Amino acid sequence: MRRAISRNIALVSAIFIVVFSTMLITNYFQVSGSQTIQSELLEGLRQINEESGGNLQLQEQIRELDLLARKAYFISLNRLRTGVVILLVMVVAFAVSLQVYFAKSRDIPDKEIDPIDDWLTKSRTRKYIVRSAGALAVCGLLFAILTSPYMRTERSETVAYADEYEYESQMPEEALAMTAEPESQSIASDPETTETAVAAAADPATTETVAAADTIQVSRVTHNAFRGNNSLGHSSATKIPTSWDPASGRNILWRVPVSRQGYNSPVINGNRVFFTGADEEARELYCYDLTTGKELWRLAARNIPGSPAQVPETTDDTGLAASTVATDGVRVCAIFATGDVICADMDGNRLWAKNIGVPSNRYGYASSLLIFGNSLIIQYDNSNSPRVISLDLETGNQRWVRERPQKIAWSSPIIAYVNRRPQLILMGDPNIISYNPNTGEENWRVECMLSGEAATSPAFSNGVVYAASEYAVIIAIDAETGTVLWRDNDILPDTSSPVATPNDVFVATHYGLFARYDAKTGEITKTMELNSEFYASPMIVEGKIYLVGTDGRVFILSARSDFSLINSFDTGERTYATPAFTDNKIVIKTEDSIYCVSSL
Amino acid sequence: MLVPMAIFAQHRFPQPDFESGYVYPERHYFTPAEPFWSYADVAMLVLLMGFVAWAVIRRQVRWPVILVSVISVAYFGFMRAACVCSIGGVQNVALGLVSSSYTIPLFVLLMFTLPIIFTLFFGRVFCAGVCPFGALQELVNVRNYRLSKTVTSVLGVFPWVYLGLAVLFAVTNSRFIICKFDPFVGIFRLGGELPLLLFGVALLVLSIFVGRPFCRFICPYGAILSLFSRVSFMRVKITKKECINCQLCHNACPVDAIRPPYENKVKESRSAGVNRILRYIILLPLVTVAGAVIMYMLSDRLSKVNSDVRLYDMVVQNETRPMEVQPLELQTFYGHGKTVEELAAEVAEINKAFRIWSIVIGAFIGLVIALTLIGLSTKRTRRFYEIDDANCVSCGRCFGYCPQNQLNKK
Amino acid sequence: MKANKKNKATPEQRREFLRTCGRVLAGGAVVSLFGFSFRDVAVWNTTSLWQIDPEKCTFCGRCETDCVLPTSAVKCMHAIKVCGFCDLCGGYYRANVKDLNTAAENLMCPTGAIERRFVEDPYFEYSINETLCNGCGKCAKGCNAFGNGSLYLQIKQELCKRCNECRIAQNCPSGAIRRVSPSEAYVLKGA
Repeated sequence: MRRAISRNIALVSAIFIVVFSTMLITNYFQVSGSQTIQSELLEGLRQINEESGGNLQLQEQIRELDLLARKAYFISLNRLRTGVVILLVMVVAFAVSLQVYFAKSRDIPDKEIDPIDDWLTKSRTRKYIVRSAGALAVCGLLFAILTSPYMRTERSETVAYADEYEYESQMPEEALAMTAEPESQSIASDPETTETAVAAAADPATTETVAAADTIQVSRVTHNAFRGNNSLGHSSATKIPTSWDPASGRNILWRVPVSRQGYNSPVINGNRVFFTGADEEARELYCYDLTTGKELWRLAARNIPGSPAQVPETTDDTGLAASTVATDGVRVCAIFATGDVICADMDGNRLWAKNIGVPSNRYGYASSLLIFGNSLIIQYDNSNSPRVISLDLETGNQRWVRERPQKIAWSSPIIAYVNRRPQLILMGDPNIISYNPNTGEENWRVECMLSGEAATSPAFSNGVVYAASEYAVIIAIDAETGTVLWRDNDILPDTSSPVATPNDVFVATHYGLFARYDAKTGEITKTMELNSEFYASPMIVEGKIYLVGTDGRVFILSARSDFSLINSFDTGERTYATPAFTDNKIVIKTEDSIYCVSSL
Repeated sequence: MLVPMAIFAQHRFPQPDFESGYVYPERHYFTPAEPFWSYADVAMLVLLMGFVAWAVIRRQVRWPVILVSVISVAYFGFMRAACVCSIGGVQNVALGLVSSSYTIPLFVLLMFTLPIIFTLFFGRVFCAGVCPFGALQELVNVRNYRLSKTVTSVLGVFPWVYLGLAVLFAVTNSRFIICKFDPFVGIFRLGGELPLLLFGVALLVLSIFVGRPFCRFICPYGAILSLFSRVSFMRVKITKKECINCQLCHNACPVDAIRPPYENKVKESRSAGVNRILRYIILLPLVTVAGAVIMYMLSDRLSKVNSDVRLYDMVVQNETRPMEVQPLELQTFYGHGKTVEELAAEVAEINKAFRIWSIVIGAFIGLVIALTLIGLSTKRTRRFYEIDDANCVSCGRCFGYCPQNQLNKK
Repeated sequence: MKANKKNKATPEQRREFLRTCGRVLAGGAVVSLFGFSFRDVAVWNTTSLWQIDPEKCTFCGRCETDCVLPTSAVKCMHAIKVCGFCDLCGGYYRANVKDLNTAAENLMCPTGAIERRFVEDPYFEYSINETLCNGCGKCAKGCNAFGNGSLYLQIKQELCKRCNECRIAQNCPSGAIRRVSPSEAYVLKGA
């Protein structure tokens, strides 16, 4: 009798538990799904409401939805809690009735699974343990080998060389990996015919052997724009040489003359070095091999609709190619003083080109490009219609544009992450303005550059924007609110942009004085007379400041609290460009040549 | 001024001067009586373990085990929500022994060592029903379908591997994986991550038919206790009278810890047996070294469990190719003004620790496997049914099955 | 040969000897573990409670979603001695609010857990209804961005389950959650 009752209870509770828990789980998913949808919807409506400035009907809708969402949230919470308690009670009932039901039934001797002979079992167990341990070890080894960075290096981060440069058409997944990791392409090439190239592509094993045959490790540290990534004057490169000599060739990896003149700085991505050159005849984008200094390709900006037949007048110290190019490892973009913008892929194929209007500029257009995500940002200050433009990197179509009520500036944009949000900060005359790089909306503006001509770019560190320009001011601005923290006008740079660390701001003047300001207070904490002239901007790498004077003298200073001169030497070549850094290497562009310094 | 994050009292707005005689409301936040509960837990632990020890060793009865199981599930399980438990305490102790920044609270140390001390004296009385996980499985278990000894022995190595990994991640201050993958805590808290909850429910359903799958094949603390249980001073006996080899207890045991009588009939010369053991002993250092080497090779992968290492990877990725939308971790990292170099140095330290400890843990796992093999190549003659002290969880099920005990009652 | 056999211990004796060795080892291990742990004085007074350091917290919103409890044990707290009693409160109202009324489109808190009471012109007193609060931190973020930062997040110790490893702490991007002793169970602002 008791057994029958307990069996029935067990059965009923078991069915109840199964049904009820299924319901609870589905309910849980429904609720969690609908909640997020509703809150997103609500958030969207609220934003529309704020933008439209109070639409009564919309507000009613929001209120209703909000009430619904809150009700749903609290009811579902309560329901879940009571549901779980009911479930628990039923589980207890089930367990108890099950125990009662089986209380009297004994485990009678059942058939042995194992052989009676204990030794046989043991022997068999030993065998299985050895096998499974072996299998585990093999799995571990395979996993370790397959995912080791060395393997990945061999597969995708290497560059192989031969006479002809040819993009390898790879397996689809490898191609995918390439878009994800732009600096990891392999230019494999084929000494023979395309046939083998196809065969190599079809057979990954062959590809690997081809790639492994002659490979060079490429650093992951990039220098994607003027003054490094985001144009902040910092590089995370390591093992940078602190002395070299182009005349004797000490620590010089290669050195080649440039075909056309330009004051732009080189940029580095993977194994490629990019820069531009221009004269009356042609405006060209160059790609050089970082390890050999060989020219990989060049692309001329021609056949662009709207491009002026006559190149605009520029002064000798600006020229037609003063703007530095920008790359993201998939594409590279260049701009010239004619207003021509070209975008190419890593093999020099032109993706798109357009003329954004010939800039009216008394010296010549000089602002460098910057790539943010999938957009190309152009500070297009000129005396006709100064504006900042964001172009779709893929197509060249305009994303957004903002008029800038400014006089001309020759500065370049920077991207700063403030409180986890990116800000596009542009120096200008008279305003320093922070934009949202995604939409072009203005975050704040500070009117401060009241005299002189703004040619330097801002610096940024630890939530504060620093800007300095000759005959104007050096200023620190809280990038979150746009409030001025301090300002000073003692020692100011002309062309060379400042760099900042959380503690200090460094400024190199054109008359050779190098100064350090306290980032917190704006006091000058140290100055150094370097007896040179600075057009190039200082770069902070490995805690050291690298600075090149126009006379070719290199100064390496400690950026830490001691702030002392570590080394200085003369390279004997006129240098206006800011050097580019990657692990072990520096690329320096002088007036008529480009060379690579390497410690290897 | 320069830190964009929360700052104590910004004082953008001054404190108002109230004219209406406003009085600031007083608020006090009461700290719960945490020390009291800690001592209550320790007292409860000692009390319950003592009760079980008395019941299974002195009196040879099972009902106290069930009573203790119910109390433990209710108190340690549902009321105290199973934290900090002895099983997870393994990690605290490992971290506390290695790290200078973390001190093991006395309470956790006691939760960890008291069951060990009791095991050394009375066998695994903690597992019997004081541990809420064991108790839960004990309470739902109704039938025991026997698993092949081969299968259980092979699966029995897993707790050691799990223990090794848990210690590795604990000493490198990366993660407490035993807590992260705890299948039952969700049940005790009436909610948690769904996959783990389902795993816990699956284990419970399994334990209706198979005795204590968690204790036998997963629990790393059980592995430690089994070591101490082997050498315990007093131990559970099936009966105080002479065994009549009726096989009933063997069938009743939920954890397969009763070994049948065995007479060595293997036709093998003594020297062959000795040679086999010798071979395994020679193999022992090899397996140990192999384990160490494999784990060393895996150490870089394993270090990805550490959040700082993952952050560093993210930062490196972002430095080479800035992301359009930065994940929260990156935003916070850049917001806090720590430099990439500092992070890189920290990560290098972590990776170094991982390499060293991977070698230790790999050697440990290899050693366990080799010792298991040696243990499996000994032959021992048994005349009666005997309890395997390492695996016996003192649940007391066998007492009721032994006909000799029944006689005793009459 | 025979004499040899007599001197040899029986398997039982051998096993018992090994067992004794094992006991000594095991006992030694436990004693040395205790000895080693007590080298640190702190062992006596530390109990693991978890608490948020308001100085590090960035109000990212993970406290709401990552707690093991169905509704997070993290709640918003209000340091009233720090509060500016503003009418336009950055924690109470959304950022671009136009009318300062209690309509749903203007309020920040998704659960309606912030209550306000008029004190005198132009001051309002704010308080948190902790049964409604889900610890999302939206109000604290607003208050820290625009106001005095009197709203901040704390773990309510009577709700916290004191997991051996706090899941929010593992996922906190700024590492703001740390172990504290019961004597400092709350890190209060403006106290």
